[in-house]
Amino acid sequence: MDPLFIAASPTSPEVDFRFDQHTLSIKGESYPENAAAFYGPVIARVQAYLDQCSDAEITVHVSLAYFNSSSTKMLFSFFEALNDAAMAGNQVRLNWYHDEDDDTILEFGQELQDDFGALDFHDHAVSN
Amino acid sequence: MLYKEFSDFYEVARKRHIIFFYVGYFSQHVVAAISETIKARLDTAGAAGPTRRRIFSSFVEMSQNIMHYSSDTLTPNDANENQMRRGSFCIGMKDDSFFLLCANPVDSANAENIRSRLEPLHTMSMEEIKLAYKKALREETPADSKGAGLGFLTMARDASEPLEFEFVRDEHNPDTTVFCIKAII
Repeated sequence: MDPLFIAASPTSPEVDFRFDQHTLSIKGESYPENAAAFYGPVIARVQAYLDQCSDAEITVHVSLAYFNSSSTKMLFSFFEALNDAAMAGNQVRLNWYHDEDDDTILEFGQELQDDFGALDFHDHAVSN
Repeated sequence: MLYKEFSDFYEVARKRHIIFFYVGYFSQHVVAAISETIKARLDTAGAAGPTRRRIFSSFVEMSQNIMHYSSDTLTPNDANENQMRRGSFCIGMKDDSFFLLCANPVDSANAENIRSRLEPLHTMSMEEIKLAYKKALREETPADSKGAGLGFLTMARDASEPLEFEFVRDEHNPDTTVFCIKAII
């Protein structure tokens, strides 16, 4: 499957999905004008990839310094798709990076662990 | 004379400890440009990391609210992309806190709907706000929302005091009401 790469803009993150290596990375800041328009096609590609995975070992890196409310909602859908794939027998490791004093992103990671127990969640507090 | 005109204005802003003020049309490019300025300005204002992030988060939610919902629009009302809508926004300091103040016109018919979403937040504790946020995150997006229905909850979560708000009917045009909201961080 062809990789998906979207360069970062001032208000949207870099998306680097190397499906053939089973490595999906998102990093930067996320507050696009229309989060559904930005993330909708990204999630659709991930879903198509996940549909063809079986017994895959998938590694996901999410390193977002900031995301706005509408991006939060879309990210939640992204993790839901990953969790479904993990429940279908794939191994999904989620590396969750946040600034060490960023409680908001730390807590959102805890939300993800509560809701998406099939993901192998790893919290990484990064110092400045 | 020109300098005097400018300095009168500047003095008012200085006395009220305004560190940023903008009135005009908000587009995504404007939001991005103001973001850059605010980040740099907050660095020099000496705000702690978590405070800076809360201010920045509240700025983004407020400015995108203007961009999505102000009734004074240069772009078609049903557009979801490349919108330009009018409002005003400022950040200032009072005592040891930062405040963010934002105003934009809305259709008077929508004012009650906005009020009904903000009023319950006013009496909620921080724990209750976080619970409401968690619940909204897992719900379907409301039909009238271009975001996720999470914007006001995000502002309430980032603020250190209940959000203040006011609706002022435009005396020259009863179909328009100015919606003001204030967050103290």
